[in-house]
Amino acid sequence: MTARDSCSCRQFSRSRGPSRREFLYVGLAGGLGLTLPAYLRKVACADQKLPDHKEPVADSIIHIFLPGGMSAQESFDPKPLAPLEYRGPLGVVKTVLPGIVFSDGLPATAKIADRLTIVRSMHHGEAAHERGTHNMFTGYRPSPAVTYPSIGSVVSHELGAKTELPPYVVLPIQSTEFAGSGFLSTRYGPFSLYSDPADKNFAVRDLSLPDGVDHARFKRRQQLLEAVESHFRATSDSDVLTAMDEFYQRAYSILSSESARAAFDLRREPGKLLDDYGRHAAGMRMVLCRRLVEAGVRFVSTTFGGWDHHANIAAGIRGQLREFDQGFSALIRDLDARGMLERTLVMVTTEFGRTPKINRDGGRDHWPRVFSVLLAGGGFHRGLVYGASDATATTVDSDPLSVEDFATTIYNQIGIVADRELMAPGNRPIEIVKGGKVMDDLLAKRA
Amino acid sequence: MKLSSIKLPVVLTVVFSAAIESAADETAVSRIEIFPNAVTLQGAGARQRVVVQAVTADGATREVTQEAELGFEASGVAAIKNSVLRPVFDGETTLRAKYQGKSAEARIVVVDSMTFEQVRFRLDVMPVLSKAGCNGGACHGSARGQDGFHLSLFGYDPSSDYHSLTRELPGRRINRALPEESLMLKKAINAVAHTGGERFSKESSEYRTLLAWIRNGALDDAGRSPDVVGLTATPTELVLSEDAPTHRLCVTASYSDGSRRDVSKAAVFISNNDRTARVGSEGTVTAGEPGEALVLARYDAFTDGVSVIVFPKGKKDPGSPANAANYVDELIGARLRKLRIAPTAKCDDSTFLRRAYLDVTGRLPTAEQYDSFMNDSGEDKRSRLIDALLQKKEFVEIWVMKWAHRLGIRSTLMVSEKAALLYHGWLQERFGNKVPINRIVGELIAADGGTFTSPATNFYQLEQSPLKLSEHVAQAFLGVRVQCAQCHNHPFDRWTMNDYYSFAAFFSQIGRKTGEDPREMVVFNSGGGDVKHAVGNRVMSPKFLGGPDPKLQGRDRRKVLADWLSDPNNRMFARNVANFAWSHFFGRGIVEPIDDFRISNPPANGPLLDALADRLIEYKYDLRRLVRDICLSNTYQRTLPASTGDNAAEANFAHATVRSLPAETLLDCISQATDVPQKYPGLPLGSRATQIANATVSNYFLTTFGRITIGEGCICPAPPEPSLSQALHLISGDTVNSKIVEGGLIEQWLRKGLTPERIVERLYIRCLTRSPTEKERAGILDALAKATDARPVLTDLFWAILNSKEFVFNH
Repeated sequence: MTARDSCSCRQFSRSRGPSRREFLYVGLAGGLGLTLPAYLRKVACADQKLPDHKEPVADSIIHIFLPGGMSAQESFDPKPLAPLEYRGPLGVVKTVLPGIVFSDGLPATAKIADRLTIVRSMHHGEAAHERGTHNMFTGYRPSPAVTYPSIGSVVSHELGAKTELPPYVVLPIQSTEFAGSGFLSTRYGPFSLYSDPADKNFAVRDLSLPDGVDHARFKRRQQLLEAVESHFRATSDSDVLTAMDEFYQRAYSILSSESARAAFDLRREPGKLLDDYGRHAAGMRMVLCRRLVEAGVRFVSTTFGGWDHHANIAAGIRGQLREFDQGFSALIRDLDARGMLERTLVMVTTEFGRTPKINRDGGRDHWPRVFSVLLAGGGFHRGLVYGASDATATTVDSDPLSVEDFATTIYNQIGIVADRELMAPGNRPIEIVKGGKVMDDLLAKRA
Repeated sequence: MKLSSIKLPVVLTVVFSAAIESAADETAVSRIEIFPNAVTLQGAGARQRVVVQAVTADGATREVTQEAELGFEASGVAAIKNSVLRPVFDGETTLRAKYQGKSAEARIVVVDSMTFEQVRFRLDVMPVLSKAGCNGGACHGSARGQDGFHLSLFGYDPSSDYHSLTRELPGRRINRALPEESLMLKKAINAVAHTGGERFSKESSEYRTLLAWIRNGALDDAGRSPDVVGLTATPTELVLSEDAPTHRLCVTASYSDGSRRDVSKAAVFISNNDRTARVGSEGTVTAGEPGEALVLARYDAFTDGVSVIVFPKGKKDPGSPANAANYVDELIGARLRKLRIAPTAKCDDSTFLRRAYLDVTGRLPTAEQYDSFMNDSGEDKRSRLIDALLQKKEFVEIWVMKWAHRLGIRSTLMVSEKAALLYHGWLQERFGNKVPINRIVGELIAADGGTFTSPATNFYQLEQSPLKLSEHVAQAFLGVRVQCAQCHNHPFDRWTMNDYYSFAAFFSQIGRKTGEDPREMVVFNSGGGDVKHAVGNRVMSPKFLGGPDPKLQGRDRRKVLADWLSDPNNRMFARNVANFAWSHFFGRGIVEPIDDFRISNPPANGPLLDALADRLIEYKYDLRRLVRDICLSNTYQRTLPASTGDNAAEANFAHATVRSLPAETLLDCISQATDVPQKYPGLPLGSRATQIANATVSNYFLTTFGRITIGEGCICPAPPEPSLSQALHLISGDTVNSKIVEGGLIEQWLRKGLTPERIVERLYIRCLTRSPTEKERAGILDALAKATDARPVLTDLFWAILNSKEFVFNH
């Protein structure tokens, strides 16, 4: 537990020397077993200034989410020595890391394994899709009382925009409500493209001025709009209005910036590179992720495929693995070649893993007790396998990684101190992540 | 150290009570009450906490149990010490409390005063495990248990817990030979290493209860002890000043044999807002910062809530609301008074006109409608307007749309487009013919026949699993989410696993077969099939959610459910429908989210929700009459607040709020303002977005502005929230820009010879339902004077108006 954590109780943090009321509180706290020295320690550490942000190692994050719950056994943590019903239908391929194998659906990723941190000991207790998704997007277990913001929204809230582009972009669309801004204002929500880079005629809508409206005329429109707004804005104020104002400002700056709009234009990529990534959903989404990060988006989140293979996993997963393998390996190589990988954190996550045994339909069911995630760049080790599942991929065998620790480490690398408190409605302070720690073992360079 | 920390509160309590007594001169006590007001003390060991509450003229409450003079009518029946009643001898008496000239009574009955009860597992031991937190989710209640010991979460499965305690590791957890050596006791008092630390001390009553049970042989009392069937926490409401002294609560459990016990000490207490109200482990509430809180008491599978209001110290009572239009204002006013919040003023005519048109019909008032309303000098013009709007077909269309969304009417892989259209057509026909909502829902639940010939059966085509169907029915028609109870008793609500599976049993006998047209499915009563409980695989017989046991007598289970659900006096249904109606006009329900009625999510104003439900029943579920009450209240007609951020004022409807329009309504308004209808697939040109029958039909505008997203089974209208995509689309997208050009209104008006000034006026009234202010007029005329051609300037003004927040939002 960090020092900050132990003084998270607001009752003590605005202390000038105990008032009569606080004295009473100490009295009551005494009844609850809080001794005076403990109280004094709390008062003391309330005065201690802790930085809210730190020097980041990563400037941006690319989040690739595999919805439905990807099987670790069929991807990054195969069990070739387990009995057939555990092993599953896929074979293995050797990676460039000695002694480490991937599923044979990932030959290209196997070749770049020395640039990845492969975590095989991720776990949480949530076996329902929406709950697993919630965990991985927010770093919290779902609560009926609080809607937590997604990691992307917290990044947007804490760090803001770097360029004209919005700080947080999802593509092709926001796949889950948990990728939203939660209890934070909607202005920290993601910019959703609503169009898929894999489509032949891909273009993000509404990014250029309407026909017949040049910049001078657009300026006049903005002035007139300001004039129309002023009456209403003088009489009312509300969060939705402020949020809409901010979106208008951002829209104006995108519309007037050639480079901002170019970020969404895949035609500017050489055809050869697009072929490398693969001209399919995985490849095109990932190359756009890179373009956006290059143009200054802080957090890009994309999804690919559907991995809920309750039946016939062999047939269901092969095609998707092929596309993922091509796109993802190209992304890592491309980032690395451009020298961007050090400052860009790439993470591949999923809802949960899948049952150790193949079921009677030839598939695997939900299994949150152990599964795998991938990390690359952003200060993470190159070529590290962290943690292990047991022989049948039933449970964590060593070095478990919790959702809280995972999220805290991600936040840390982009410069956010995750035990900082955000204010939820009703002036309720809530930590960005509750009780996580930065996992030094995963990091070559810690922020 | 310890000494000083114990002494302090005592000293300060004295200071506090002294302060209160001097203040009492200013705020007169209007009545006092004893909680509970009827007590049965059964058995020699029975005890009952008593709380005397004084209510002052300004609505504030405080506990005066210590200060009040307490006495019995007849002596020798019961005794009271430290505000706890205990039996003396069998008989009846009245406990009387007197305080500052006011008095209150409670009926006391003493029976079996010579009988000593033995400690029983389900009755006495299980509550200790809950109270001490042993079976919580973070401890032994976790799915895998903790350190090798597993208990059912919050005690939903006493049999399994009994087994774990007595049969696993025999002689260890329970040691019948040397009861004090039982691991269960030694762990709990931390006499041996325990990850959970000390749960209670060796001197505590919890310890004594467990020890006594083990000494008596650690027997199970399955089938011999009554079950808890209800829980009441009283007083139901505390209204405390910031600096008020503590206030205790009483919690009473009622049992299947009709008996009641005081569980104030055994219940688990939780506050949903510790900063406003903290609650101690024995139900003592301490006021904190001004605000609202809910204190929950949990015991067995039951939870009850006590609403706590804390108002700023010294802030004056704003008095009762002046000129209440109807019960809505009275009940809102009463609550605001307790919170010491003054509502905003009544809005002006043009604001009201726009608000009412948008809410009731989803349309903007035309220039003619604007003129006639503004020139009407009648006192009752607002009520005449509402009456007229309620007769429009657009009113029906809005509610058909809202219910269609709630039912998730759409085509899917399973449901053909034809079936979806027929389904929507059926709903529209029922609403159009003024069939009351309860009857429509009854028909839906009981529906039999082909999805084409009897389109209501599509309800059973869209969702087929009995469990999902029951969840959907509970959520859509009762506003209750029972999903949690599929796996464990709901920790903060009344729903148990028994409730869940018994309710699902209503949907276990639905037969389905393909009709003559392969797209059609025929739904019928198969007369067979059961739902089994997840624990123990028991076959569950159907039982209404929170209602009485049904009389099935071989009838179609769904018809029995339909009768109960649509019974005009089903208050759960009425409250849900009333809340749904209310939320449309205020942007939030009295219970919010609207489909999450839960003890731990109480209504912002319980009496108001009750009153609306009562009226709805009285009006025979005629929505028009309820909407009329709502729209004619001052509460609906208030202005926006000068500044926002006061959560309590907003949650209690003290002012109007800026609300997003439904995506369909906003698109209809843009089409109306530009005079360019939007074409929707499968609908004739001129149809409005509100009329779209098949929710699968959408376009970019509707998707971006928050068209409902339909999940699996559950239908969740996503609140349309501002986004960058919306801003971009309004600024440069094809909806606003193309429509302005296509409609050609500016050109038309210029051709007709209208002056630019007149056109500005028209645009304002047409879109914003008001005239431009002098300042606005001057600014625009200035821009016009600078330009050689008025047309592009006016077009740009049109664009600006349609992009203004005043246009895009309802307010």
